[in-house]
Amino acid sequence: MDQPTTHVLLIEDNPGDADLVRLRLVEGKFPVEVNCVHRLSEGLDSLARETPSVILLDLNLPDSHGADTFRRVLEHSPDVPIVVLSGQDDEALATRAVHQGVQDYLLKGNLSSNHLERSIRYAVERQALIRSLEMTRKHQIEFKNQFMSHVSHELRTPLTCIHQYVTLLLDGLAGPISPDQSDHLKTVLKSVNQLHAMIRDLLEATRAETGKMRIEPRCLVLGELIQQTVAMMRPAANEKKIGLEIGIDQRLPLVLADPDRILEVLINLVDNAIKFTPPEGAVVVQACLVEADPTMVYVSVTDTGRGINPASKALIFDRLYQDPDAVDNNRAGLGLGLYICREIVRLHGGRIWLASEPGQGSTFTFTLPNYSLPKLLAPVVAYQDRLRPAFVLVRVELTSLSNPPRSNWKETAQQCLEILRRCVYLDKDLVLPPMGSSGASESFFVVASTDLERSASMITRIREQLARVPDFQSKCSLAITVDEVVLPSQMATESLEQQIQTLADHVTGMITHSMQGRPSRPENGNRISPTN
Amino acid sequence: MTKQRILVVDDDPDLVRALRLRLKANNFEVSTATDGYSAIATAQKEHPALIVLDLGLPAGDGFVVLDRLQNLDALAGIPVVVLSARDPQANEERALKAGAAAFLQKPADNEELMNVIRMNLMPEQPPQHVAWPV
Repeated sequence: MDQPTTHVLLIEDNPGDADLVRLRLVEGKFPVEVNCVHRLSEGLDSLARETPSVILLDLNLPDSHGADTFRRVLEHSPDVPIVVLSGQDDEALATRAVHQGVQDYLLKGNLSSNHLERSIRYAVERQALIRSLEMTRKHQIEFKNQFMSHVSHELRTPLTCIHQYVTLLLDGLAGPISPDQSDHLKTVLKSVNQLHAMIRDLLEATRAETGKMRIEPRCLVLGELIQQTVAMMRPAANEKKIGLEIGIDQRLPLVLADPDRILEVLINLVDNAIKFTPPEGAVVVQACLVEADPTMVYVSVTDTGRGINPASKALIFDRLYQDPDAVDNNRAGLGLGLYICREIVRLHGGRIWLASEPGQGSTFTFTLPNYSLPKLLAPVVAYQDRLRPAFVLVRVELTSLSNPPRSNWKETAQQCLEILRRCVYLDKDLVLPPMGSSGASESFFVVASTDLERSASMITRIREQLARVPDFQSKCSLAITVDEVVLPSQMATESLEQQIQTLADHVTGMITHSMQGRPSRPENGNRISPTN
Repeated sequence: MTKQRILVVDDDPDLVRALRLRLKANNFEVSTATDGYSAIATAQKEHPALIVLDLGLPAGDGFVVLDRLQNLDALAGIPVVVLSARDPQANEERALKAGAAAFLQKPADNEELMNVIRMNLMPEQPPQHVAWPV
């Protein structure tokens, strides 16, 4: 049987060692082709051009030493098997290399053809095996996710039917029912809703796991969201005679967060708190600033329940974890709620944790980033450590033509925002996160690193792109205004950080003016209004 | 005032029956269809004020129906509320782009469904023409 040629890339700087290895390889039973280079850089270049069957790697080269050498090769070509050639004195290092993904090592002192050949063959086989296992694992994960998505869809169909008929009966649309019957049906409905929540969580957790969970951060007032949560959870708290209170720091800044997702987190935490607090207890939702961490807002939910034991504390945010103390509370759910909370908070750049003593209640706390305009502006408004020469503030205002707006107004506005993001230069313009909207109209702001004259082409682009949204012209009217951001001239002497702060302050002032319906810079006429 | 007619399209006849009852109780006339082909045929015959549309349908799925509706002059203006068990993350935007007025995931809250239907019903008067700024 014809043996395929083994292509060996030998990276070895010592000519004597290199010759010896080459000789041993050629002496062997199988056809080999050896490409020998003396430096790591040459080796990496060669790997970029062609993929050998195996790499024989000396760790001490003129341009790289020790562990760095195999790490760089592994990083460059993770799929090519590596056999390290090691001196007698650094066998420990060679062993470490094997732990980190190198297939094998050989001691240079006693190389035989047999030995070398077998090592190479095993390395190649093992690498292929690992790759195929990896592929299988990937396929399995993909299959599992598809399966989850499919199952959640299939479960919803009969659930919808149950939901419809139960509510038909409950609403008396199929004839009058007795109070007892109504009670029984309400119990069915409650279970239907629990089942629904579980199906939703399953899909959500699958999304979180595959990185498909998305958030759409806005600039928002957290206090309002907390009020909304408490209003929604009030009936459940009253039913158990549990006090539900709010404590919001008046100095709380705006936060950058997805309102729907954070509402989900808050409801989940408050719902848990109510569930695990005995009657007559209390649940408090607080939001405050912490001096040591001024860029984040801290939100906490405290209860007077039985607390969570230390062993569960470390695991409680893990997927599918069930607190053994909580399971007796008849239906504990799937153990996905806190996992989903953690993933949502993490996507926002915050963290979530738990403080609890058994018998003393628990406090769940999470953080959300402040809305900080300088932080958002920093990556786009400076170039080579200097502030760019000119800026304009563009306001794109959409107003719904039907009042109240149609139900998909929110989606239309979202679609426009995404189009807007595609109309700007990502490296020098910034579409600001949307502000709270006033129902029938939505304003988006763009800080663009350009002057009034040159902004015209951007405006044209925005107009053209928005006009392509189906039915855009029948759904809303569009107004675009552009204002120059006039910065104080003495600013040049300040540090870049201060300059960005000044720019952010100016922009904030202009937006505030603009949202109050006044011209954004009443004192100067540098403005174009390309709507007419 | 004459009652407005709603066309309910879903391949689950049990659900269609329940939705018919619910919509009748909310003062609507109701027509039904259980596949894509008869959905278009019924819409052409009855010219409903609004269509509640499932996505997974035999003989032309919901997207095919949306596409047909958009391309038939007589039907293009009818608002469509999609009511589907499918994942909104993968289908909502697509449905709205295909011309749907709203997307609700099953099981939907009845009150929400009725609100969405009422909000999207065709107005009695054609909308006032608003000049498009150039």
